[in-house]
Parts: sequence; structure tokens; C-alpha cells
Amino acid sequence: MKVQSKSYKFWRFVLYVVLIALAVLMLIPFAWMLSASLKLDKDVFIFPIQWIPENPRWRNYIDIWTKIPLSKFVLNTTKLTIIVTLLQLLTSSFAAYAFAKLDFKYKNLLFMAYISTIAMPWQVYMVPQFIMMRGMGMNDSHMAIICLQAFSAFGVFMMRQFYQGIPDELCEAARIDGMNEYRIYSKIMLPLSKPALSTLTIFTFVATWNDFLGPMIYLKTESKKTLQIGLRMFISQYSSEYGLIMAASVLSLIPVLIVFLSLQKYFVEGIAATGVKG
Amino acid sequence: MKKRLLGLTLACTMTAVSLAGCGGGSSGDTGATTAGDTTTAAPAESGAPEGTTAAQAENAAPASGDTVLKWAVWDISSTVYYQPLIDAFQAANPGVKIEMVDLGSADYQTVLATELTGSGSDFDIATIKDVPGYTTLVNKGVLEPLDDYIAKDGVDLSQYGGITDQVTVDGKLYELPFRSDFWVMFYNKDVFDNAGVSYPTNDMTFEQYDELARSVTNDTPGQEVYGAHYHTWRSAVQLFGILDGKNSIVDGNYEFLKPYYEMILAQQEDGVCQDYATLKTSSLHYSGAFAQGNVAMMNMGSWFIPTLIEKIKTGEYGPEVANWGLVKYPHAEGVEPGSTLATITCLSIPTSAPNKDLAWEFVKFVCGSEGAEVVAETGTIPAITTDAVVEAISGMEGFPADDASAEALRTANTYLEMPVHPKSSEIETVLNEGHDNIMTEGSSIDEGIAEMTEGVQAILGN
Amino acid sequence: MALGTMANQKNVDPQVVKEKLAKLEPQLSALQEELKNTSDKRKRDKLIKKIEYTQGKIKQAKTGERLGRQTKRDLVAYSFIAPNFIGFCVFTLVPIIFAFILAFAEWDGNNAMKFVAFNNFAQALKNDRFIASLKNTVIYCIATVPLTLICSLGLAIILNQKVKGRNFFRTVSFFPYVASLVAVAAVWNMLFSPQKSGPVNMILYNLGVAAKSLPKWSADKDWVMFTVVLFSVWKNMGYYMVIYLAGLQGINAELYEACSLDGANTWQKFLYITWPQLQPTTFFVTIMLTINCFKVYDIVYMLAGGSNGVLNKSAIVLVYHIYEEAFRNWNLGYASAVAMVLFLMVLAVTLIQFRGEKKYAN
Repeated sequence: MKVQSKSYKFWRFVLYVVLIALAVLMLIPFAWMLSASLKLDKDVFIFPIQWIPENPRWRNYIDIWTKIPLSKFVLNTTKLTIIVTLLQLLTSSFAAYAFAKLDFKYKNLLFMAYISTIAMPWQVYMVPQFIMMRGMGMNDSHMAIICLQAFSAFGVFMMRQFYQGIPDELCEAARIDGMNEYRIYSKIMLPLSKPALSTLTIFTFVATWNDFLGPMIYLKTESKKTLQIGLRMFISQYSSEYGLIMAASVLSLIPVLIVFLSLQKYFVEGIAATGVKG
Repeated sequence: MKKRLLGLTLACTMTAVSLAGCGGGSSGDTGATTAGDTTTAAPAESGAPEGTTAAQAENAAPASGDTVLKWAVWDISSTVYYQPLIDAFQAANPGVKIEMVDLGSADYQTVLATELTGSGSDFDIATIKDVPGYTTLVNKGVLEPLDDYIAKDGVDLSQYGGITDQVTVDGKLYELPFRSDFWVMFYNKDVFDNAGVSYPTNDMTFEQYDELARSVTNDTPGQEVYGAHYHTWRSAVQLFGILDGKNSIVDGNYEFLKPYYEMILAQQEDGVCQDYATLKTSSLHYSGAFAQGNVAMMNMGSWFIPTLIEKIKTGEYGPEVANWGLVKYPHAEGVEPGSTLATITCLSIPTSAPNKDLAWEFVKFVCGSEGAEVVAETGTIPAITTDAVVEAISGMEGFPADDASAEALRTANTYLEMPVHPKSSEIETVLNEGHDNIMTEGSSIDEGIAEMTEGVQAILGN
Repeated sequence: MALGTMANQKNVDPQVVKEKLAKLEPQLSALQEELKNTSDKRKRDKLIKKIEYTQGKIKQAKTGERLGRQTKRDLVAYSFIAPNFIGFCVFTLVPIIFAFILAFAEWDGNNAMKFVAFNNFAQALKNDRFIASLKNTVIYCIATVPLTLICSLGLAIILNQKVKGRNFFRTVSFFPYVASLVAVAAVWNMLFSPQKSGPVNMILYNLGVAAKSLPKWSADKDWVMFTVVLFSVWKNMGYYMVIYLAGLQGINAELYEACSLDGANTWQKFLYITWPQLQPTTFFVTIMLTINCFKVYDIVYMLAGGSNGVLNKSAIVLVYHIYEEAFRNWNLGYASAVAMVLFLMVLAVTLIQFRGEKKYAN
């Protein structure tokens, strides 16, 4: 017994050493961003790197708000991200339920249609898509970005995989109890898929928040542009204001981290925790 | 918070369910939209007042009855000459308003080309950033030939110093330049003073230049001084080779580059200039490199002049570079000094432009002598370089006071960094790769040149 | 329920019913006969489905319901899919189908399209940038997929334990994925600086590697793909860790308890419970990883692109090739053809994996 606890302690120790080493490795980019955000443009890429700037330039954090309409951009990005994330969660968990738990005609065909489109790089159909969207009058509108992002095959695929992990017997039992499919979905599936929904929320949020090329091509009016285009505004033809870019990047990370931190709690609530047994 | 989010999701679900349920499949789309709108009503509303005022402010400018021309540009906030040009044009042409649309700098040509694809675009004037981008648009047939307009209004093309001939495609001209940058040699006077070496001159051969760079170099670790700095662009090294006017970069034969690569690789080996591989991976910008104050000479485009002046003025660049100067590019033996590379920025009219005639008026104005004066006043070099223009720029506050620097602004022959060629972007790719392989020493000079020759020959179909 | 059936009924014309039945019943018995004579399991499954379907039809004809039970079930299922599918169809599928057609045409986005059959594909085979990108992409996938899978699974299992500061470590692992690519690439290139004084090269040098033969990492045509692979594993493992974490929550704790009672050690628990139970997640992760690896582009571009943003043959990947052909040269037809190649490769890999999943499920 004593031996076991000793080796247990040893392995715990090793575990923490590994974890801390990993954490340091993962945090270096963030440290770099912070450090760069307090520097003048000319000092950002100097080698060997100076981690703590001699004269930290806090002004960068003020300048980013005045040099470009950043607050407007943040607002636009927030709006787009929330709409897209909600639509994505809603429609894909809905569709995924059918793919995972219902039997219907052309199921495999439809599902393959979904999966195969994930394999298509966006660059390939970007131009036809743009021409089509412009034809629908959606050029230079937020609607375009929403339509572009909200109905991804990725979400459906991911949710389907998670639903498949939930035992079919649960649904069968509910059907015998006389529940219809919509109720099974909302009363049984949704509460059970919190970890999956959290994952999808995080991914969609990050993807929309950081999306660059879509807004770049569709949004032209200054008051409609998003944060990521704003970041690019610090890169002009003959110079790049990396100090300012990094200051804005550090700020743009905050919402993402908040979302992640508040949702990762769901990763501890397993099936056991929700009181349902398979 | 968690509960509310989930509740919200559920609420949306219900809305969508009922909508999908009653409306059948076809209304699923609108159903989803409605759901999205309701749930996000709060943030959207809080954003609305600001949004409308901004939109109104933008719409307020053109009064009713005015014709509005849409002009595709990049970097509105950091480009000083757009607004003065617009103001001057609008003053001369009442009833016409110019509205700028910023397509961003980094992907400008991609976004512009996408926008002009098909026939639905409403841009009247497009700024053209570079020659490969221009070639692409011409090949796509989305630019209006300007020859008829030029003939009608008798525009004198000779004032552009032959540049327009270099961008004529199959006898037709699709753009007019309004800004022209050329490459010069920037140098840091303090570095030369410290080393006790005399400054570079407007008449240097490449041998003299190499010697000079080596004489100011100091490779003591910790206090390095680099005699020269070459940015990682292909143009910064490769195009030394075309300045004698005998060779072209699109010919498919690159033996003539050999002496220049030999010179620069030797400099790199001896620590005269910084290592290409390190510069490439560290993404160090040339301005950052020059601003360190340990670079003696750097070849760069004249666009760096206003930036340098501005950054020294604001104190972003310290006293270590405050004392800078300009000279002409070094030249090969027996070639007239002042031969250099040029990059032009031009205006075009898309074939889909709603108001072509008015757009032409604007193009004619901006690219003509009136426009040139406006551009020069902002410290930028316009495409038409008259004595007045050179004086305006060299007279700017912060421009080096010595005569040699002013004289450096006068060019003899200018060659486009990339001439117009239907395959220019493919050739560019091959040349970039060859340059990269030679400079990282992944290939020997001979191998690299052979790669380029082979690659370009394949593209040219020989 | 009864009300529903009533509403669903139409006026039954006995003549029509008879005709229908006369058609359906022989079909049914033929199928049943066939089933008796078939031994292959897959064929049998198919036959059983067909029989059920015919039986449903017969019942429908007899009762005269407008919608059979299966049809009703189908409708319910479609109503679930519709909101997403319609949006997906309009905004993604239609342009993609268009892109498919483009692969057999010559188009610059503006002038009339010209049908060229397989010419684009023939051209691709002659283009050495295409060959190089194909090779690099495949190498990249083969190296990255298993590495990322192992790293992210390991990370997820560790961070699913009760360790102190778990939330912190989880968040930190997700960091490289969300941090700006500029920052991440800059840090990476700094660690792997080609100079002798770069941190990694310093270690190698002290280990006895000659200064001349130190790799130049992302500026070195022989090492660039290796650097890219390491980088992408590091950047993306947090992302797949999140998926695995969510998957781990789906495992019933009772399974572990039962296993503990049987005296299984940690490794056995992993082998007999965690790994099999994570199968749907692993399936998803593998597919997404493969697809994302095939679609890699921005990482390579940032790491090895340099100031002019052009990738050399030593580092070019398929999507970059598509991008340059589409937007630098505006050969949209050719770009689509290359995309088709990419698509077919991914499809092949995905189908194989689906097979694997089905086999496992059986």
C-alpha cells in the first residue's frame, strides 16, 4: 500500500512537470503578443527578442481605438458572431438528431453530401458563391456573412457523432412512452449533449470571430467591417504596424477566452452527472 | 448565464420547429433567419443607432442630384493624397461626388478582381496596385481601353517618361499612372562618420558599392554594423541585373544575374549584410531593420521617404537614423547613373462602370499635371516628374538637406519591376523560388539560375 | 391518434386498391423467396429493408392512408434537417456543384466558359508545382494526422483527471489555436531560428551538430515540411483535445467502476473502455484532421511564405496551389480541377474510414 502511494506521488509529480512544461510552451505566443503589443513597430521582429520592452508603450492600447473605428468593428463582430453561433447550434443539432437517431430515405446520400463538402476548400467555390450572393443582393451586407457561416456541414457532422454516442435505447424508451421526435430531441437529446454543444459553440465562436477572408470579400462599407479586417488595416502597403496589430489581437482574444472558460465547465458533466444511465 | 444561453437556444429551437412544421420545407430558410433575428435583437438594437448615424453621415455628403462615382482604393486612413485629390476634383467639377471604397491593402488585387468578376459591379474607377494585377484584369477583359479617350482629349503620353509604353497590351492602354515610385539607395550618415568613410555618391559602380559596404562593416558580436541591407524581396537583389537595359526579366535566360548573386552571397557570407534565411523567418520589415541604426546602406523604393520622414518626426525612430541621405542606385560599368526600377500606381475604368465618361474625367484629372501637383504636395512622387515636383519633394521638411539627396530623385532610365507579360504572375513565382533557393543556399547560384531558366522557358512554351 | 388516421384517409376506390395489391404482393413474395436463398449478410440486410418497405406499401394501400408510416417518419426527419439543409444547399452546395462543372471548363470568371473535358487534369499532371504540392500535402497528412491524434488524446485524458489547475491547463492548451497566427508563427520561427544562436539550434549545436550543418528550419528546403508538421501539431492539438474532452464526458462512469472491480489497471481501462467508447469521437477527429490536413494552407503560408508570400516547391501545398491559380492567375477551371483531385482523395480516405466505423459498429 505504501509503495503504491509512493509511486503514485512520483507519477503525479511527473504529470505536473509535464503539464507545466506544456503550459509554458503554449503560453509563449501569448507572452510574445503581449510583449509585442507594448513595442514600437520597428522593434517587434528584432532578433534576439526582447521579452520585456524597455519603454513599454501603453499608448498602443489607446491608439488602436482612435486610429480605426475599433469599437464599431467590435460591435459588428460581436453581432455577427452571436447570430452565427446561435443559428449554427440550433440548425445543426437539429439536423444531426435526424442523422443520428432517425431512419429515413436518402439518409446516407444526404449525409455524404454534407461530409464531402467539408472537403472542399472554400477558395474553390468562393468566386461562384460571391457572384451568386451578389445576384441575391447580399454584397456588402452582414446577411452574406451569416449565410456563409451559419449552415456549415462541420456542425452537423460533429453533433451527429456525439448523438451516436448516446444509446438508442433512450430514444426507443421515450418513443414507447409516446413522446414525439421533437420532444425527444428537446427533452432528452439537448440536455445530454451539453458538452458537445459547448464544443460547437466554442468552435463556431472562434471561427466566426477570427474569420477574415469572408468579411474581406463581402464587406466594403467601413461601418460594416469586422474586427479582423480592422486588424488588417494596420498593415498598409508599405509598412505594418505590428505593435498596434498585437495590441488589438490581445484585446480580441479576451471574448474568445471568456467563452472558452465559461463553457469548459460542461466538460466535467458527464452522462453520470446528469443522472441518466445508458 | 449557462441556463439562459441554453434557454435561448431552446427557444430558438421551438420557433424553428414550429416554423418548419407549419411552413413545410421551403420556409425553413426564412424560419432560421427569423429565429436568428429574434434572439440577437438585443445586441443588434444597441448597435443600431450608431449604425444609422454612421450611414446617414456617409449618405449626407452627396446631395441629391449629384452623380456619385465609386472609387476602389486601399488604406484610406494612411494614404495622404486621396482626399486632397478628391477635393480638388470636386471643386473643379461641381455635381460629381467621389466615394472611396477601401478594399484593404494586403489582398487588394484579389478582392478587386473578385468584385469586378461578372457584370454586377458598380465601381467607376479602380486603382491598380501592381503590374501582375493589371495584367490579370486586362486578361479577364474587365478593364476599359483608354485609347479613345486619350485620343479624344489629346492627352500627351510622353509626359509619363515612356512608362505607359511598358504597360500597353496588344497596342491598347488600359490604365494611366498617377504615382510612380522608383528605387534609390538610402544610407545612414552617422554610420559612415563613425567608420571614417566618405558617403556614397550618385555615381557608383557596383564594384565601388561593394567595396564601400565592406569598408563600413563591423562584425564584432554585439556591435554589428552591416554595410548593406537587402530586403527579402526578389526585386532587391535580382533586379540589379536589368539596369543595364540589355536584359529583361521575362526573357527566360538568367545567366546575367550571376555576378550580382555572387556579390551578395559573398557579402552575406562575410557578414556585410544580414542572413537572408534569418530575415525571411523573422519577418523583419526593412523599415525596422533600417531604424536600428546599424545598417549603412539599404536599397529601397522612394515610398520609404515619406514614412521615414514621418517616423523620425514623431520620434518613433530614434536619433540613430535621424541623419540619413539618398543616392542613386549603383550602376554597372559603362551605364548611365540613375537607371533604376519603378513601380507605378494607376487608375483604370472597369468595363462595368456605370458612369464611364465622368470616370474618365476623374482619371484624366488625377493622372494629369493638376493631380500630379496635388500628389507631390503630400510628399509622394507622382507619375509626372517635373522640376517643380522634384523641388516640392526635396524641399519638404525632414528631407536630407544635401544636394546629392535631391539630385538622387532625378532618374535616367526606369524599368518596371515586372514588365507587362501575359504570364507575368507565373514567371514571378518561378523567379521568387529561384531567388529564395539561391539566397538560402539551398541551391548553388548555377543551379538556381538553371532552375529559373528552365521554369520560365516552360512557361513561355519554348 | 384516431383522429389523425381519419384525416389521413381518402376515399378508397376498391378497384385501385386491388390493382395496387396485385402489383405489390407478387413483389413481396419474390423478395421473400430471394431472401431465403441468400446467405450474404449485406445482401440479406438490403433485402430485409426492401421487404419492409413493400410491406409498408401494402399496408398503406389496404388502409388507404395518404401517407404511409415510413413516409411520415421521413417527413419528420426531413423537418429536422430542413433548416440547416436549405441554407447549406443554397449557400454551399450549389456553388460547389458549379465548381465541379468548372473543373471541366476553362474560365477566368468573366469571359464565356469553354468546355475542355479533361484538359485541366492533363495540364495539372504536367505542372511541377501541382506535383510538388500533391507530394507535400500527402507527406504532411501522413505525418500530422497520427501525431496530432495521439497528442490531443493524451492531453485530453490527462486533463480529464482531477488535477490541480485543470481549468487553467485546459485553457492554456487551447491557446495556440486561438492566438493570432502572426504571433504563433513569429514565436515558432523565433524558436526555430536558422541562426546558430536560435534556441533550438543552440541545443543542437551543444549536442555536437556542426555549425555548418545546422538546419535552417522553415527557410531550409529539406526541413521546411518537418518544421511545418511540428508547428501544426503544436498549434492544433488543443482544438482536438476539446473534442476529445467532450467525448470523454460521454463515457459512463459505471463502466470504469465495473472494470475496477475486475482488477483492471489503468492501461487496461484505457484499452477496454476509453478507447472503444471514444470510437465515434476518434472517427470524427480522424476525418476532420484528415480533411483539415488536406486543406492546410495558412500555416504553411505564414511559416514559409516569407515577405512576398510565395510558397516554393519545397513547401507548396494543394490549397495554396489552388489559391494561386485561382486568384493570381485566374485559371478558375484549372483550380477547380485541382480541387477535384483534392476532393477525391479526401473522399477516398473518408469512405475507408466510414467502412471502418461500420465494421466497428457491427
